[in-house]
Amino acid sequence: MNARKKAITVFGIIALLVGLNFMVFQIPGIAEPVSNSTETVNNSAPDGVGGIIGGIAKFISYTGFRNATPGHLIMIVVGLFFIFLAIKYEYEPLLLIPIGTGIIIGNIPFFQDGGINLQLGIYQEGSVLNYLYFGVVKGIYPPLIFLGIGAMTDFSSLISNPRLMLLGAAAQIGIFLTLIGALYLGFNMPEAGAIGIIGGADGPTAIFLSSKLANGGIINGVQTQNLIGPIAIAAYSYMALVPVIQPPVMRLLTSKKERVIRMKPPRSVSKLEKIIFPILGLILTTFISPGALPLLGMLFFGNILKESGVTKRLADTARNPLIDIVTILLGVTVGASTQADVFLTGGSILIFILGALSFIVATAGGVLFAKVMNLFLSEGNKINPLVGAAGVSAVPDSARVVQIEGLKYDPSNHLLMHAMAPNVAGVIGSAVAAGVLMSFLM
Amino acid sequence: MHLIFQIPELILEGGIIAVIGYTIVFTALLILYYTFLYLGKVLAWNTRRRLAQAGKLSHQETEIEVTGEEAAAIALAIFLCRDLHDDESDVITIKRVSKVYSPWSSKIYGTRTFSR
Repeated sequence: MNARKKAITVFGIIALLVGLNFMVFQIPGIAEPVSNSTETVNNSAPDGVGGIIGGIAKFISYTGFRNATPGHLIMIVVGLFFIFLAIKYEYEPLLLIPIGTGIIIGNIPFFQDGGINLQLGIYQEGSVLNYLYFGVVKGIYPPLIFLGIGAMTDFSSLISNPRLMLLGAAAQIGIFLTLIGALYLGFNMPEAGAIGIIGGADGPTAIFLSSKLANGGIINGVQTQNLIGPIAIAAYSYMALVPVIQPPVMRLLTSKKERVIRMKPPRSVSKLEKIIFPILGLILTTFISPGALPLLGMLFFGNILKESGVTKRLADTARNPLIDIVTILLGVTVGASTQADVFLTGGSILIFILGALSFIVATAGGVLFAKVMNLFLSEGNKINPLVGAAGVSAVPDSARVVQIEGLKYDPSNHLLMHAMAPNVAGVIGSAVAAGVLMSFLM
Repeated sequence: MHLIFQIPELILEGGIIAVIGYTIVFTALLILYYTFLYLGKVLAWNTRRRLAQAGKLSHQETEIEVTGEEAAAIALAIFLCRDLHDDESDVITIKRVSKVYSPWSSKIYGTRTFSR
């Protein structure tokens, strides 16, 4: 019931965006920015009553009321809706409150004509928001988030049953098929790569790659659009929608008999193995895909802080205050980057459609690969194919979905611990995929 | 009749990138899989060798791995065992009270204070 409510609200936003996008941008004249406001701007300061009137006129021309466009208002409503969802339904509040507030901050209209830089907007050089946005554009925040994730992740389930790593790899098919889909819909190669990463179901990775490949600059000789905002919003929205998107796909691709397969309980993992995992994982994965170094380097570094057992203070800082600070900055700046003139485009709508498809394909990839693995496994070692759906990252939501779905068919079959393995492997897999795409497309 | 499908060059290029990229992702995690598969076996072999050297492993015991569930059950049992029983020193000491006066032995409470 709750999941349905979430689905209705988020698809409601998308429908609102689609509808209003067409209304605002298809009707000629509406989308044009206020251009006659320059007439009222008078930089000279005449004396007396004329000066006062001129000052008032200038003040009025600078207000949000004078510069508002329908696009600004639409985005403010979207921001308010995000805040409403977070407070009313507690729907990803740690993300939706900063992003929703950021959307409002980024869409307060202000005077932008005549080449005057008031240093207010997120895209205006020298503004405070622009400095904070620097962390997004240069891909600084995502690795710091990964540091915190590493410091709070327990890789035991993965170490105890390493073959489940392959499910995390299989689910990355969503990234690469979305890339092809984006090319088909007319995006250029770097943009398609950035859109594809939505299929990795990993917010920081999506922001990291889009900041490299679709930041509005010239990438590998190709002029790109700034798609960081739409990609980030799509990634986070669909990550929260995992309980709605995944179960139908899981049920469609599995039989009742497969859904009740019991897996062997994971063995206990020694401290030595837990310490070796991040060190070997760091070396092996970054040797293969050096482009993923900022993400995987920090992920495994955070995990070493946790597992070494001698840097508790640093691990505590990484997984609590540091990740909180970065989440605040990341959320508010990503929200603010959805400035109407950049965000409300036909491209954003296509990104939302591709994002939904990529999640479905990724889920199907994981489930089907688990079924293929079962063909080669002996009777007692079979994998419950539902676990494959957790390969799409989205930690820990997709693992939770697997647990809930498993319990529906056998109330005593707990799949959570098994699902956590492909879940964290999916994080590694999507980061490797991001590194690969960067090295191909930059 | 021949049907000719013309795939645009950009999509073809994207397809090649997708195939190579997916293969690399798979390879990376396949290497991790084999590394940790064999690392687990090596560590288990080492543990078995050390136990055998210490004479704590009988020849019948082939399985030395403990599942997480068993480990959790053992840990809970140890916790309950320690928590449910008090540690007592078994030493009873009667300390001599150095005070001369104590209300417990005071005569004043044994006498009537009201005169008839």
